[in-house]
Amino acid sequence: MATSAVARGVVFALRQKIAKIEGTLPELLASPSDNRPPAGVLVRRNGIASARDVFLPTGVEGLDEALGGGLPKAALTEIHGTETRNAGAAAGLALCLVSRMLKERSRPQDLLLWVGTAEIFREAGLPYAPGLDRFFGIPAASLLFAEAPKPADVLWIAEEAARIEEIAAIVVELRGNPRNVDLTATRRLHRRAQDSGRPVFLLRQSAEPEPTAAPVRLVAAPAPASLRHTLAGPLSGSIGPPAISVEIGKSRTALPGKFILEWNPDARTLEERRHSPEDRVAVVSASRGRADPQAAAGTVVAFRPAAEPAPGGQPPREQHPAHRRPRRTG
Amino acid sequence: MVSHRENNTQRIAALDAQAEALRLRPGMGIAEARAMHPSIDVVEADPEADRRLLESLADWCDRYTPLVALDGDNGLFLDITGCAHLFGGEKALLADLMARFFHQGFDVRAGLASTPGAAWAAARFAAGHIIAAGGERNFLARLPLSALRIDARTKTGLESVGLRTVGAIMDGPRAPLVRRFGAELIERLDQALGRLEEAISPRLPVAPLSVERHFADPLSLLDDIERLIGLLAATLKVDLERREEGARALELLLFRVDGAVSRITVGASRPIREPTLVRRLFHERLATLGETMDAGFGFDLVRLSALSTAAFDARQADLAGEIDDDGEEFAIFADRVTARLGEAAMLEPATAESHLPERAAPALPYAREEARRSMAGPARAAAPAGRRPAERPVRLFRQPEPIDVPATEVPDGPPLHFRWRRALHRVARAEGPERIAPEWWREEADAPTRDYYRIEDADGRRYWLYRQGLYNAQAAAPRWFLHGVFA
Repeated sequence: MATSAVARGVVFALRQKIAKIEGTLPELLASPSDNRPPAGVLVRRNGIASARDVFLPTGVEGLDEALGGGLPKAALTEIHGTETRNAGAAAGLALCLVSRMLKERSRPQDLLLWVGTAEIFREAGLPYAPGLDRFFGIPAASLLFAEAPKPADVLWIAEEAARIEEIAAIVVELRGNPRNVDLTATRRLHRRAQDSGRPVFLLRQSAEPEPTAAPVRLVAAPAPASLRHTLAGPLSGSIGPPAISVEIGKSRTALPGKFILEWNPDARTLEERRHSPEDRVAVVSASRGRADPQAAAGTVVAFRPAAEPAPGGQPPREQHPAHRRPRRTG
Repeated sequence: MVSHRENNTQRIAALDAQAEALRLRPGMGIAEARAMHPSIDVVEADPEADRRLLESLADWCDRYTPLVALDGDNGLFLDITGCAHLFGGEKALLADLMARFFHQGFDVRAGLASTPGAAWAAARFAAGHIIAAGGERNFLARLPLSALRIDARTKTGLESVGLRTVGAIMDGPRAPLVRRFGAELIERLDQALGRLEEAISPRLPVAPLSVERHFADPLSLLDDIERLIGLLAATLKVDLERREEGARALELLLFRVDGAVSRITVGASRPIREPTLVRRLFHERLATLGETMDAGFGFDLVRLSALSTAAFDARQADLAGEIDDDGEEFAIFADRVTARLGEAAMLEPATAESHLPERAAPALPYAREEARRSMAGPARAAAPAGRRPAERPVRLFRQPEPIDVPATEVPDGPPLHFRWRRALHRVARAEGPERIAPEWWREEADAPTRDYYRIEDADGRRYWLYRQGLYNAQAAAPRWFLHGVFA
């Protein structure tokens, strides 16, 4: 028993040392004995910081847990899109995270800088300010785009921009696997993000996963949206809020995970969709001509009414021609 | 010998001294000349290239004065008022100019006088002559009428009545001359004699401030040039401070020893005058030009000019000694990016009153500070309160991409499937249409309308596509385009 306690102490000391060497280690360090730090306190290179400063929680319990508390805030985060035509999903995921961060900071002068190569803006389109405003609450006044012909120039702009106080978040967008976007380049970006304390999102459209210095790599793919919610329930055949399928490609905890996330544009929150996308078509047709019966208060007792009045003077149910036809589903 | 085509025949346009000695004359037919001397070398005239050469010479002449004007297709006017003393007097300036042109391989004739007309005559009829102020009269009197810059018809008219020199008409009665030959003759005469002010029209606007440095030993290293920019900017700063201004656009002129001139311009989003800042902006610009700029044998004159200046509001440090940054750092960053990658590298969405998506939020080059501020305020307040804006995609293609729609459910409905970039997409759900009518005040009246649909394909990708035109409404079949993607 005593030896194991000593061993645990040694392990803890070693882990703390490693944490100090590695810098921001988004990992809760549990001390073996009673002098354990309170929950949510992390060991960083320059002392102790609270989880609030270190993490950018996605708001999705499962994803945050799998990432060990959320996305690291002062870091490079890679978001991969498997194909260029999935650029909407990858951009959407980055925008969800940026939007959450801007909402939390709530400083009007914050800017979002979107840097990309001319190629990706031509292939996948330029971010469109009214859409960003409508879905993600990022006003046009706080948007800024930078376009460069070569990936090297894009990285240069991103590195320079990471120092600027006004730029709250940077989205770097590249297509494919350019030769000069390697471990060194990502490490430089990561260092800049760490120094500034603001996140840099590296969007890589139709790129193969490569070794990267980013602590987290997420793979975004499109997911069918749920139905629009109206007062009368889900509207069949409609396209609801943005939905993105997210897979963890790399993280410090190395836990796998695949989530279908749904963005709520009004509350600016991410939610995980539990039900399968097949549920999206209403099995039972919505009621027509009359309101849904209100749920009765209290206990419902079987009690047959003397005579059921036909609502709105309609013919009895058996005589209605609509009910004579064979019913179809869907 | 240079030939040009005139009235469907090749004629001699210009020729060198050697050809002149063979009794060939400009205007002579090439066939005739070849018959006389079969071995002559004839080159086709290239007025464009001549023009470019003249322009580059004019650029080079900027070293003497900022006021350089082109004169026809074979001359340059230099207004050296107030510049001559920098070169050790008029005579030294003229000698320097002639020597430099000679070493560049040009045969130049130059004249110097107090009026453009007299200088023009001096250059053509007494090369290298300097006419002192007031001496125009005596000088011109001896010259033929061609020295007056008059057209050939007037000249032959005057010669036919026996007036062959300028002196002959100088003191003659003016009214009959004007009546017979037009006002231009007398105007030219007055201009040459200085009775009438004549302004030359400089090619380029004169920079309000410029500093330059000459070198006996030419510079060729980029690092040296950058260091020099810092030094020049420090000198410029003194002048800017005196005027309480900062530079909004700066130009660096590099005069190469062999006559080529490079102009490098950088802009600043807010007035600047700090030498380190100026140097940083030029550093970015030179970094991209590094490979393309040819230093040749080096630069012997470097000039830094402030092309446009604006009031510089000096900020005072507060009691804690901290100066409110106020976006300064960001402005410098934007300037550096535009200096390095061009004006179109930094874009910001503008808001415009338009229903067409591409016009409603065009991405414009990053506006200068004031424009941005004035735009940000009212444009956002103008949005109708309480009304939800229409759903718009998160990415919009610069050009709507044509897609192939084989079938739609109903003629004016959404497509069943479509082919975009050679891949077939099956439509699972569709919302719409949202009809956006063309702007009749911009386009022709019968421009097709657009019906926009939100489409989700079988894999969950959401697109924004539209049909341009209606079925059976116009002669042309409607076309489908993909305009954006949703998240």
